[in-house]
Amino acid sequence: MPEGIFCNKKPIETEEALKAFMGDTSGAQYYKEMQSLDVDSDLLWKTIQNTCKSRIRTWLEICAHCGMCAESCFLYLVNDRDPKQVPAYKIQSTLGEIVKRKGKVDNEFMRMAMETAWAKCTCCNRCGLYCPHGIDMGVMFGYLRGLLYQQGFVPWEMKIGAGMHRVYRAQMDVTEEEFVETFQWMAEEYEEEYVGLTVPVDVENADILYTVNAREVKHYPEDLAEAAILFHAAGENWTIPSKGWELTSLAMFAGDWAACKMQVESVYDAMERLKPKRMVGTECGHAHRATVIEGPYWAGRKDGQTPVPSIHYIEWLAEALREGKLKIDPEKRIKQPVTLQDSCNYVRNHGLREVAREILSYIVEPGYFRDMSPNKEHNFCCGGGGGFNGIGLFRHQRNKGLMTKRDQILKTGAKLVIAPCHNCWDAIRDLEEEYEIGIKWSFLKPLILSMLVVPDHMKPEE
Amino acid sequence: MFKKILFATSATEASDHAARVAFNMAAALKAHINLFHVLGVPTRGYSQVVLDVKTKEKVEIDDEYISWVEEEIRTYYANQLKDRKIDLSIKAVVGIPHREILRQAKEIKPDLIIMGGSTGSDEESVYKSNTGSTLQRVAKAAQCPILIVNRPAASFWGGVSSIVFGADFSKASDKAFEFALKVAQAMKCELHIFHALDITSNHMGLSLSQDEIEERIRKNLNLIRARYVSKMTDKKNFSMDVWEGIPYVEIVKYAREKHADLIVMAHSSRKLEGDAPKIGSNMEQVILRAGCPVISVNH
Repeated sequence: MPEGIFCNKKPIETEEALKAFMGDTSGAQYYKEMQSLDVDSDLLWKTIQNTCKSRIRTWLEICAHCGMCAESCFLYLVNDRDPKQVPAYKIQSTLGEIVKRKGKVDNEFMRMAMETAWAKCTCCNRCGLYCPHGIDMGVMFGYLRGLLYQQGFVPWEMKIGAGMHRVYRAQMDVTEEEFVETFQWMAEEYEEEYVGLTVPVDVENADILYTVNAREVKHYPEDLAEAAILFHAAGENWTIPSKGWELTSLAMFAGDWAACKMQVESVYDAMERLKPKRMVGTECGHAHRATVIEGPYWAGRKDGQTPVPSIHYIEWLAEALREGKLKIDPEKRIKQPVTLQDSCNYVRNHGLREVAREILSYIVEPGYFRDMSPNKEHNFCCGGGGGFNGIGLFRHQRNKGLMTKRDQILKTGAKLVIAPCHNCWDAIRDLEEEYEIGIKWSFLKPLILSMLVVPDHMKPEE
Repeated sequence: MFKKILFATSATEASDHAARVAFNMAAALKAHINLFHVLGVPTRGYSQVVLDVKTKEKVEIDDEYISWVEEEIRTYYANQLKDRKIDLSIKAVVGIPHREILRQAKEIKPDLIIMGGSTGSDEESVYKSNTGSTLQRVAKAAQCPILIVNRPAASFWGGVSSIVFGADFSKASDKAFEFALKVAQAMKCELHIFHALDITSNHMGLSLSQDEIEERIRKNLNLIRARYVSKMTDKKNFSMDVWEGIPYVEIVKYAREKHADLIVMAHSSRKLEGDAPKIGSNMEQVILRAGCPVISVNH
């Protein structure tokens, strides 16, 4: 069977198709169809010729198979140093082979490549830091995912995620109206406690344009309220866009390049329409990578920059605390062993290694912060990055992958893990559920709010 | 006075007493009742896996599963609904319970939300895996009164003859009083205004002398007169008292003495800390201990 009803080479473009696709619980039929999905070798080779540029070709050629990358990969480490988990092997045996064979690979090969691309690599890019040639296997796996997606060999949830972006310009089924309405609802709910709280929508020339993760809207809108309260307390002139508010990109995890472009362009349109001084995105790692670091290239922006300067939430927070826009009650600082999860996507890949630590210096009582080892740009992936968290088919592998982070946390003796990244936050929650090591985990917003000196004008009478 | 009731149920024993009150009320008042159940908590960011709150299993949610759960709820309450004409709808959703209850309330705008007691200990209950309890969070933010039934109610709606209003002189408490008065007038029943003078804290470890206590009691009685009694048009069927002690104990004792069918209070805890004790405030203690339903009014 060349193309299945669900498993095929066509992206999901409509709400109906998305619903029907999700109706195939766990992707049972989808994965069955995948067993006999044809590989379009001509298309595959043509795509490689058009898109596989000198950098990746050179990387594939110059890899000396020295194995220096092996120990850098947490999946190699937790899987008993299985040689098949060495990053160089993983990429050479998949992308390397496809290129070598000029796209002439079969169904079985593609399914193996899919498992390798999504269950043996989280695109954390740690290996690239240890390769003597600077070969970044994470970048290459991102590329391989694109080839696999085009051929229809992509995990079920990833195809849903990419479809969501195509249909809703958000990673979940949240419409523009629902986004604005939910944000306003939160402001109303908290207005009594924080006087004057409002959510400015589509205000032009604001200092800050705030963008979020659709999950906040869908499941825990308190996060939106917290963001609004903190902006308000800091006296910021901020706004949200009614359109182009989604910072994340599951399309990036899925390898759906066209959807990646559509998604970031919706955010860039909002920037151009509202002309803010800068954009601040929520506490999310991959979203920052997608919209701020890689997005400009997807959108064909020659300077590699977003239309307005764009920063991560922790950068704004550090600045607000440093400049005294937000004040912390020293009495309420964290007084228990606490550690920090460095997100690969904005620490290793965007150099923000000191920013979160600066924030901690304001909110943790001296002596209570315990850094993980290794840390900063050398930190390990949470274990659930790159889409790993969400893929049912690879849950077993993911749970094993969490062991690295579990052991790192245990060694610190921390009881609280601060994770200013949705993916890390999820992975750490899941590792607590899986291994029960007795930790709590948190984003920064609720912690800051719990120790904030609320300005008088925001205090209710009574 | 209640045309639309939102009954947020766990569809387990924990909600059984609340269910009895809810169905009795709906039948007696000819109100529409919406049975609302949060069937699962989303476990992963963007996977379809949900932790089923009853079976504690990880399940993949689809429309079929949701319909099946809705049918299960109907079956669970079949006995109580038998032979009664109750205008009923059922809805099951996935999400974080307090948020989904508030979302549903925002959508259907009920006159009253009814909830059961605790769903169990931290270990047993999936609902509790999030900080704070569902009840606390709903009570804090809901725009309508919330009726909480934890222990088997000696009486039930349709036969309210005595209401105790627990006053704390806050703004929210004013709203709670308005509501208590409205119910008392509609039900033509007694209204007992009560304030408990807290002698357990706030005095830096010094115990108050009896003279001081009595002075404060007099002051508070005057406050009740000024703040509440002055707003009553019909001043026949009421009483007012101020007792000293541990507030929640005094309220429960007072309610027992007055044979209260209902206690009305404002949910006064302003802030919910991440690690706040699940049962901490007076309100929660009263809910746990009172022999009658408790209504929390905040807005």
